[in-house]
Amino acid sequence: MAGMATTFDGSARERAARGRGSRPLFVLGGVAALFVVLAYLSIAYGARTLSPSEVWSGLTRESDLLNHTIIWQIRLPRLVDGMLVGAALAVAGCLLQGVTRNPLADPTILGITAAAGLASSTAMVIEPTIPTWGMAAACTGGGLVGAGLLFFIAWRGQISPIRLALAGVALSAFFGAAIVALLSSSRTFLQTSLGFLAGGLYGADWRDFRATAVYILPGMAGAFLLAGRLNVLALGDDVAAGLGILTDRTRVAILIVCGVLTAAAVAIAGLVSFVGLVCPHLARFAVGNDNRRLIPASALIGATLVAAADLAARVVISPSEIPMGIITAGVGAPFLLYLVKFRG
Amino acid sequence: MKLEVESLTLEYAGRRAVDAVSLAVESGEMVAIVGPNGSGKSTLLRGMSRLQKPAGGRVLLDGRDIRRMAAREVARDLAILTQSPEAGLDLTVRELVWRGRYPHQGILQRPSASDYEAVEWAMDAADVAHLAGRALGALSGGERQRAWIALALAQQPKVMLLDEPTSFLDIRHQVEVMHLLRRLNHQGMTIVTVLHDLLLAGRFAGRIIALTNGRIAFDGSPAAVLDPAALEAVFGLPMMVIPDPESGQPIALPRPDPALCAAARPAAD
Repeated sequence: MAGMATTFDGSARERAARGRGSRPLFVLGGVAALFVVLAYLSIAYGARTLSPSEVWSGLTRESDLLNHTIIWQIRLPRLVDGMLVGAALAVAGCLLQGVTRNPLADPTILGITAAAGLASSTAMVIEPTIPTWGMAAACTGGGLVGAGLLFFIAWRGQISPIRLALAGVALSAFFGAAIVALLSSSRTFLQTSLGFLAGGLYGADWRDFRATAVYILPGMAGAFLLAGRLNVLALGDDVAAGLGILTDRTRVAILIVCGVLTAAAVAIAGLVSFVGLVCPHLARFAVGNDNRRLIPASALIGATLVAAADLAARVVISPSEIPMGIITAGVGAPFLLYLVKFRG
Repeated sequence: MKLEVESLTLEYAGRRAVDAVSLAVESGEMVAIVGPNGSGKSTLLRGMSRLQKPAGGRVLLDGRDIRRMAAREVARDLAILTQSPEAGLDLTVRELVWRGRYPHQGILQRPSASDYEAVEWAMDAADVAHLAGRALGALSGGERQRAWIALALAQQPKVMLLDEPTSFLDIRHQVEVMHLLRRLNHQGMTIVTVLHDLLLAGRFAGRIIALTNGRIAFDGSPAAVLDPAALEAVFGLPMMVIPDPESGQPIALPRPDPALCAAARPAAD
């Protein structure tokens, strides 16, 4: 009897200490359900509110021309684009937090967002009618150059996570200044520039989806394949090398994936901040430290967060809208403050 | 599994820390590396694994150059535990030990029964099974050290290199860790460990290698290396060696400073 009690107590305490049990499925199931609700609301609400039967007929019947067009040409692509943006940024943040061993790392703070944004705004100034795929390619180029610069500056025989973080902060400030300098010197773009700088999904369509999915889907696959290695890399370079990880090569691969994912998100939505920072923390709370679960969970949470933020951006001052990035920052910043103060 | 070091030269902080060292560790040996601070012990150990690229020479694992083998392949046969790793404090012991299975797992492969067995065995062997669900950061120094040993054991290595596995441990935990290494050695694992403590080296190692200035000064049985003249040459300190009253094994001690003794005696009277 005493033996049984001890065993029970031991395993219960263990479960409590590990924070696992059925929580991951429960939380992720909740997030998925929330996502479905948000997806429905995103399709139903907007300048013209659709009833459930209108949503259904618009989704399924081409003969319902107005609702079909609203749903298939405006709201659905925007929802899908938002999912891609959220998932890409969240996964990039997750990878960067792992590779720098710094819970404050994210594509914005490490300057990758700004590098992609500088490429994007340069392209906009040089060629205002640049096609969507050209913009996506320019952003990817910028993101990769940013990630490459980050690596180059942080590398001194080997890469230290601390140098990586410091270099990122400096690059972020520098590229950010360059973007503002560029945009403010070309007055005609001021209106679009504001949406770009704050980050938002205004006008996102299937072309954005097609132009960026070719980067985001392989990027996601790459992130997932790197998850096991990232787990080991988190134990420190010596331990990782002892377990058979080529540490610097792995870091380069991770930075490339982050560059690609971040750039694709910037190509769609501009400079969206805080998604990459906050989502991995939410995911960690749900599924723990294993990146093989953390990365898919971050993607799901990122997609949901951006869907929610975009819905809010569209309805808060409807029929007009505010840039979605303001909502993500408005939610993200207080959440970060909460983390810093109460969760260490 | 045999580990051969052929005229290995390693640099540390721009200086030649290990200078053309050659040695061979036969399968099933338990070797202690001793020497003063800065003699190149840790660097040698890093060079014997893949942690540090040699400036010259090579390391052979069963006749194959470890630099020409895939990193994961080396990690399946050879584990290295560096001095008190600092990362991973938010992981539970079980999560940590699972990561030792990395070299055995395919990228998209699900954990196999042999992975589970290896993890459970490693936690049992290192006596951390009862701590499996605790976070590493909440453990004592001794418990944490044993968790890191369990990580290395989960690799199921045939050769294990350890850098001062007993540092920061109290005497009981020191002895327990050494007993664990001896048990593993008796089960066939080849063990090379850097040790500061000559007492532990004399009691547990079958062979002691003493380094000075990046070269091997003495290499032989504990009785041969734990010799007053040899130790004096290595550590630059007058030493004496007395037999353990129970086992007869050599115990090395610094010789009392005659000046201090002379000063202390009248006061004691």
